[in-house]
Amino acid sequence: MAFKASDDAFTHPVPTTPEKEGGIGLRSIHYKDLIEQKPATGWLEVHPENYFGGGIHRHYLTKARELYPLSLHAVGLSLGSDQPVDENHLRQIKELIEIYQPFQVSDHASWSASGNAHLNDLLPLPYTEESLSRLCNNIDRTQNYFGRTILLENPSSYVAFADNDMTEYDFLNEAGKRTGCGLLLDVNNIFVQSRNHSFDPYKYIDAVNPEPVGEIHLAGHIERDFEGGTILVDSHNQYVRPEVWDLFEHAIKHLGPTPTLIEWDSDFPALKDLAGEAAKAQTIIDRHAKEWNDAAE
Amino acid sequence: MRLNDIQARFRDNMLDPDLLAQDEQFSAQFTKSEITLDNRFSVYRNNVVKSLTDVITATYPVIEKLVGEDFLRDTARVFVRQSPPQHGCLHDYGSAFADFLTQFEPAKNLPYLPDVARMEWAWNKAYYAVDDEPLDPESLTTIAPDKFDKLRFSFRDSVQLIESPYPLDDIRDFSLHDNPEGTLNVDKGGVFLMIFRPELDVQIHILEENEYRALKLLKKNDTIFGMSETILPLHPNFNLETFLQKHLMLGIFSGYDLDKKG
Repeated sequence: MAFKASDDAFTHPVPTTPEKEGGIGLRSIHYKDLIEQKPATGWLEVHPENYFGGGIHRHYLTKARELYPLSLHAVGLSLGSDQPVDENHLRQIKELIEIYQPFQVSDHASWSASGNAHLNDLLPLPYTEESLSRLCNNIDRTQNYFGRTILLENPSSYVAFADNDMTEYDFLNEAGKRTGCGLLLDVNNIFVQSRNHSFDPYKYIDAVNPEPVGEIHLAGHIERDFEGGTILVDSHNQYVRPEVWDLFEHAIKHLGPTPTLIEWDSDFPALKDLAGEAAKAQTIIDRHAKEWNDAAE
Repeated sequence: MRLNDIQARFRDNMLDPDLLAQDEQFSAQFTKSEITLDNRFSVYRNNVVKSLTDVITATYPVIEKLVGEDFLRDTARVFVRQSPPQHGCLHDYGSAFADFLTQFEPAKNLPYLPDVARMEWAWNKAYYAVDDEPLDPESLTTIAPDKFDKLRFSFRDSVQLIESPYPLDDIRDFSLHDNPEGTLNVDKGGVFLMIFRPELDVQIHILEENEYRALKLLKKNDTIFGMSETILPLHPNFNLETFLQKHLMLGIFSGYDLDKKG
């Protein structure tokens, strides 16, 4: 049977929003297993940049979307750059939004582009009024272009700026307030940051305005030893660490049931093990859902 | 320091590890700790250079087989620092690698390498080309015979034409085969290739020189008449009907027009 692009013109047999909170990141290594095994996971997330253009990746994304709700997690908008978001990048993501009807669209409070160079990493911002204003302009531009709100994610960082005007959580809360964007709380990043920059990650979570938080990320990290100490690196190639699960449980108590994604970008486990991590997050969410339901009554 | 300046210097530091020690004003923007700033920056530099090097090695598997993984990674690191991506769509990153290889001294004794890179880049472009539909050959039956000469074709997004004095097809087959038989003779003569993705899989077609030249002209928006005028004196055996039938059946065209000017 010949494949034609029009065959992928796609209907929505599954709800747009997830019925279960635990979800997994979809990478090409798992395409076939996902479609054959249909693991019990609430939703999928992909980087839209991997689906620019056409071909086999779009084909599998269409098949995957027929089975699960989807979130688009961008890594290339460079919202924190001191230059406008690239319109071509916006156009390509918008095309995917229109086709795949994601329940969330997100990117990071970081930057990658300066001048004509796009460095393909989530680089740190000084938490100043100037950065906040630039970031908010780019979020406004993005939300206007997409015709919907996005979520802004807290990054990991390995350096700290000396002249910050505010904490990271104040910076994020304020960006949410000014632009109406939601927040994507990466609990592993908060843990990594707390070790790299010596603060209490529990206090950070308590200080985040819970109302705009639309999603949580969990991932593994590694330790890199240097003379003078250890830096935690957000590597997405490991199981979630026990300390991060504890912090996640605290976040769920603070935020209530929230869609939670297991990110895994290299040294991949079997799909069932990845889905097992999402099920573990679901168990923690379910354990506290009753408290939230009782409180709501 | 203004954000624009911080980001420009941060960018330059990612691409050149020696700059940080020379820029005290920039270093003063960061808090000091037991771990040196250079070590902290090395985490970012490693992420940036490794992730982009990975894009290059994934795009050039034949070159990796020809020169070995270590040589390709070392070469790609030099390329990445010299020519980082210009935007966030990394499917477009690496198009300049072939030209870079022509100037790269350590690769000078492998003169076929840039053409291999051009073939792999064409393959990459076809792999990520937008999904489009072939022109239905039936649709040409309505064209009046006297108008036929004025026909111009538009091509499917994935169609790429490559010529080389080296046997790129043999080089590719030999390199990507797990247990290649015999030896590879890179001096056996050149080849004309069309790289094309009809559906989901990228195909490589070996072409006759005359059909390659004819397709080149049509791709430049020449009319059937204009193309034939150029091709026939050079290739008297060129058969227009066979040529059109073959490529219509392959499905490389996406449409046609009969405008007088183009």
